[in-house]
Amino acid sequence: MRALAAVALALLLGLLGLGVSGIFPRPGVPGGEEVAEAWGAKNVVATIVLGVRLWDTLFEILVYAMTIAGVKLGLRRLRWEEPLPPVAETPLLRRSADLLLGPAAVFALYVASSGHLGPGGGFPAGAILGTALLLLALAKGVERLSAELREPTLEWAEYGSIVVILALAGALLLLGRRGTAYFIAANLLIAVEVAIGAWVVLHRFALSRGEV
Amino acid sequence: MGTILFAALALALAVFALTQRRLLWGVIGVGAHSLALAGMYLFLAAPDVALTQAAVGFGLVTFIYLLALRRTGKLTVVAAETHPLLHQDGERITGLEWEILSQFARRLHRDLEVLWVPRAEIPRLLRAGEADVGAGGFLARYGEGLLLSRPILATRLATVRLGPGPVGAVAGDQGQDHLPPTGRTYEDHQELGGALARGEVGGAVTDLLHLHQWTLHGDVAPTETADHGATAFRFALAPGETDLLEALNELLAELEASGELAELVRRYVG
Amino acid sequence: MEGLAGAALAIALVGLGLWTLIVRRNLIWKLLGLNVGASGAVLFLVSLAHRPGARPPIAGLGPGPSADPLPHALVLTAIVIDFATLALALVYVIFLTESRRTQDVRRLEREEGEWPERLGGSR
Repeated sequence: MRALAAVALALLLGLLGLGVSGIFPRPGVPGGEEVAEAWGAKNVVATIVLGVRLWDTLFEILVYAMTIAGVKLGLRRLRWEEPLPPVAETPLLRRSADLLLGPAAVFALYVASSGHLGPGGGFPAGAILGTALLLLALAKGVERLSAELREPTLEWAEYGSIVVILALAGALLLLGRRGTAYFIAANLLIAVEVAIGAWVVLHRFALSRGEV
Repeated sequence: MGTILFAALALALAVFALTQRRLLWGVIGVGAHSLALAGMYLFLAAPDVALTQAAVGFGLVTFIYLLALRRTGKLTVVAAETHPLLHQDGERITGLEWEILSQFARRLHRDLEVLWVPRAEIPRLLRAGEADVGAGGFLARYGEGLLLSRPILATRLATVRLGPGPVGAVAGDQGQDHLPPTGRTYEDHQELGGALARGEVGGAVTDLLHLHQWTLHGDVAPTETADHGATAFRFALAPGETDLLEALNELLAELEASGELAELVRRYVG
Repeated sequence: MEGLAGAALAIALVGLGLWTLIVRRNLIWKLLGLNVGASGAVLFLVSLAHRPGARPPIAGLGPGPSADPLPHALVLTAIVIDFATLALALVYVIFLTESRRTQDVRRLEREEGEWPERLGGSR
């Protein structure tokens, strides 16, 4: 069994090596920058993600949302029954976490809204915001943070942002309008969607265990 | 240059992570590995990918792994209650073996759960995968087919006589091997001690630890002792759990080398 | 040069990850191996997009060739989706551990476990 696995692995790795070896001709890079300028952006990657290959991105967002819904449904049955241990009161940590959330949120906002100009975009911004929420949860305790955030509102925001992204993309595809405002709006919406999804996953995992 | 440096770092961290035996180190290693990969992407002229990889790979992925580890890691111990080794003290459990097991669980990043069972049930439960560790003054019998850890505490097995009558032993204990055909078996040492005190049996095959307990309480006063040789209390593990056994033996060897085991024995057994 | 080093590392990572996926018996170890293998796949695409002396695919950074932006765009979403699918896989691992009390695939395949009531009754 192990020998078979080793042979299969060696074959696969050989194939990958063949791909980079230069035996097969590699296509030349088309000039992406003119396309990006035409769309009103500077970051070619953002132009591809949100413009040229918008369909891919839309379905990736749908896959993401469905996976998060699966996690939510799955862990709903696995609540931790034992009483939760109270989180130790550490005012210093709580205050500093409160103070740090602001800059983290602003940074995420910056990364999202400048995604069409430089490196960044909705996906990394959402991940940064999710990580910031996670650090906040570590400092304050999951329950308190979740009470402050109000889960149902978040759920509405998550599904709402998906609907708005779909509507925006549909309008774009139908009307053919392009420009800076579209990029900023789409990146912000994607950031909201990804951050809420990450928070929901972390919150459910923490709830099913009872602590962070 | 920077690429080579980050590539070497990423590869070394991946190898480090995937060759660990403890899952916790594996998770932390993979987290650090994805951070090194993010640095690599920067040198490969992909700042967007680097940003995403750093935020997702280091923060979110590591964290859900840790939460899943907390949730799934429960170390189940089946044990016969044995006074100075592993016993209930009001609400909590304490004893020499408890100290070792809780250190072991902490090291594995798992919660500890103890189920009290008769001694004779332990091999079946371990083989069925209902539990990970058998404990509570566990003396192995021949042919049980379980993995055994390093000795925790050395003891001797002996037949003691108080008066006339059959000899008793605990069912499933090592003492049953030395029981004559007329002997009786009891579920645990408490019942055996009670039977001895009532005069139901005239003697018992047992280990020195339990004998010491009985004589301490004044229940029994042996008149005649026949030694069956040295043995030792160990932990029992399900067959096939060689990784777990290795980790447990490592811990026991460390405790022995640092003198902590001797200290614990002095505190609990005397 | 850099692209070649990246591709070599990517192939090594894919091999390492798949090897862990096959050989280890614990489900969470398998997922960790899958994780490393997936990051190797991402790195493979990114290093294929790299050209000697390339700059990031952002307009206005000066002359010279730029890296191919298409693989970057493909990979960007894949990283985030990886996180979500990993979370779902871990939920399934938690389910399995709750109901069968083991994460060892060999034991999972061998034993027929009872499906607990609170996870939805009989299978």
